[in-house]
Amino acid sequence: MLRTEEMLLNVGPQHPSTHGVFRLVIKIEGEIIKEATPVIGYLHRGTEKLAENLQYTQIIPYTDRMDYLAAMTNNYVLCHAVETMANITVPDRAEYLRVITMELGRIASHLVWWGTYLLDLGATSPFLYAFREREMIINLLNELCGARLTFNYMRVGGVKWDAPDGWLEKVAEFIPYMREQLHGYHQLVTGNEIFLNRVKGVGTYTREEAIAYSLSGANLRCTGVKRDLRKDEPYSIYNRFSFGVPTREAGDAWSRYECRMEEIEESLKILEQAVAQFPSDGPILAKVPKIIKPPKGEAFIRIESPRGEIGCYIASDGKKEPYRLKFRRPSFYNLQILPKLLEGENMANLIAILGAIDIVLGEVDG
Amino acid sequence: MDKNELTRLKKEAAEKAKAAAIKRRQEKERQASESGQDLELAKKKAAAAAKAKAAAAARAKAKAASTEKKEEESSVEPSPNEPLLQRYIQIIERQVGTDSYEEYYINRLSKDVPTILAKPHTYMDIAQVLKQQLHFDFLAELHGTDFETHIEVYVYLCSLQNGQSVVLKVKLDRDNPMIPSLVPLWKGADWPECEAYDLIGIKFSGHPNLKRILLGEDWIGYPLRKDYKPHDEGV
Amino acid sequence: MFGLAKGLAYTLKNLSRKKVTYSYPDEPLPLPDRFRGIQKFYPDKCIVCNMCVNICPTDCIQLTGVKNPDPTKKGKVISTYDINFEICILCDLCTEVCPTEAIVMTNKFELAEYSRDELFKDLQWLDENDQHVRKENKV
Repeated sequence: MLRTEEMLLNVGPQHPSTHGVFRLVIKIEGEIIKEATPVIGYLHRGTEKLAENLQYTQIIPYTDRMDYLAAMTNNYVLCHAVETMANITVPDRAEYLRVITMELGRIASHLVWWGTYLLDLGATSPFLYAFREREMIINLLNELCGARLTFNYMRVGGVKWDAPDGWLEKVAEFIPYMREQLHGYHQLVTGNEIFLNRVKGVGTYTREEAIAYSLSGANLRCTGVKRDLRKDEPYSIYNRFSFGVPTREAGDAWSRYECRMEEIEESLKILEQAVAQFPSDGPILAKVPKIIKPPKGEAFIRIESPRGEIGCYIASDGKKEPYRLKFRRPSFYNLQILPKLLEGENMANLIAILGAIDIVLGEVDG
Repeated sequence: MDKNELTRLKKEAAEKAKAAAIKRRQEKERQASESGQDLELAKKKAAAAAKAKAAAAARAKAKAASTEKKEEESSVEPSPNEPLLQRYIQIIERQVGTDSYEEYYINRLSKDVPTILAKPHTYMDIAQVLKQQLHFDFLAELHGTDFETHIEVYVYLCSLQNGQSVVLKVKLDRDNPMIPSLVPLWKGADWPECEAYDLIGIKFSGHPNLKRILLGEDWIGYPLRKDYKPHDEGV
Repeated sequence: MFGLAKGLAYTLKNLSRKKVTYSYPDEPLPLPDRFRGIQKFYPDKCIVCNMCVNICPTDCIQLTGVKNPDPTKKGKVISTYDINFEICILCDLCTEVCPTEAIVMTNKFELAEYSRDELFKDLQWLDENDQHVRKENKV
């Protein structure tokens, strides 16, 4: 007699498709997932506790290590929070450098997602193409700040380095190149029937569910919610650029794919305008005291990272170290919906659903 | 007219900056060429410069402090979010009661976000009003902080349809921090509440699955409490 | 099927493209001047101000200074300077705060060792590490 038995299965924490040290304990009956329990915390380094004994400048290198695929936005959220509290105006040139690096980071992050997601689904070649282009971005950022991923580039009140000679020209050259490659990516993957079958209608949730589960970024926009903090609550100099907020209605893995791919295009638009408007001269660091002491009080500042809304809460008691520092880490919030999405799903869809959420474990675990 | 003036000023400033940069570079080069013979001098110079810089920083700080004070005195004008806060409070007073909150204010340090400090027994009711009557449907952040005299829960709520934000806070007893869970209202509060339970030790009653999400069930102590001592057996 | 064929066409087109890989480690990796590798230390430039020790976010620098042996000169001179490369995160803050540029970054990034003890770099090691020293340190 043929029969199925309930089985407990461990996925991870060392499984390559979990993109880090993420473990899923799943209960399956035959091919169907009955229950999924995420186990996280393997990469918890206690950034928030460490930060309580560090000056604000010293915390910046730690933020690099949260979302290590787009460290610039992490740098920015901390600096922006301190600047908002201490009422520091950042020079224009620094803001442009920040926006350019953040948008480059956003593209690099989406490229990694694109490559690895298709790798998860069994297509190996897109990964190589994505990393070829990402390498160019990494090299640009390396030339600017001396590190490939852990930039430690922004400072409270500005940035550490000015653009080296010819750097902006290289960025300007990269934009049309990337557009052309993006066209190639669509040619390679977007119409592929196998890929479409794997992602269309998979991992669907409604707009109400997305909002209830506090999803943000492309995970929220794929359900038709037009929310992007760069547009809705403009920070930095984002109100000087015209760009769109890509949304889809379906709320499945395919619409998340489409949103992210379009976001790369929008980022390229921002880059183009930022390079064109770049001020020819000026300081890159505001006049700030050597030791920064924000006034007593608290602040919570959010910005849009490639993965969603990243936030930074600072409670200051007027000393040079924060009394309490807390990051709202978008991957942590976005991952919450996973058990719900996996329930009743086919085992083969597990990776397609997990990959589409786009998590970085450094960020999930803090 | 104004614009012309501005561009002229900008140009002047830019020229000045350039000249200064050239001067600095020249000085650096000169120093570098001399450095062979009188490193000692360079060192002394640097030390003196560092001292001067420190003094300048101290002066700047003092100045900043004084201007801040002045600003505080002059900034009596109400925040643009003041009417919103008044509206929220009105509705809360009508629905929950006039003594349901401890205080409310505009947090000027945090981009003028309206902040309401609830009482522990009305926290859930106020949250309900915020969600149902005022359409704060998106929970952006939830965490706890140990303020040594008390423990505070900080909830940042957004309304996607109105584009508004509000902060709901509540002060808890440090020895037995207990508060109703917000998961019935916002499913997104699930993991953040687990995190707050794990790191600060706040118990959320009614939470469907409260667990030590990051550190594991066998961890001793709550690391983000200010009096936390790492417990290391055998180290 | 059409989508598959289109994708295959793109792959074929890429066959004729220039290679983008590096043949590391046969050839050294080209790195920009600002690259943050293991530090170079100039003992005679150091004024023992302790700024690098204070700014280090991981507390990996330790130094001691002694009174200047030349009685006509004031101040201190460096006697020991150690960086623990088990915990150094190459964040660049020590070189940023150094008033005399006594500590600067180099392009050396190959740090793998067989034992932990070898990751403890002392003054002599850091002084002798003089390949590809960063030229521009302050903007």
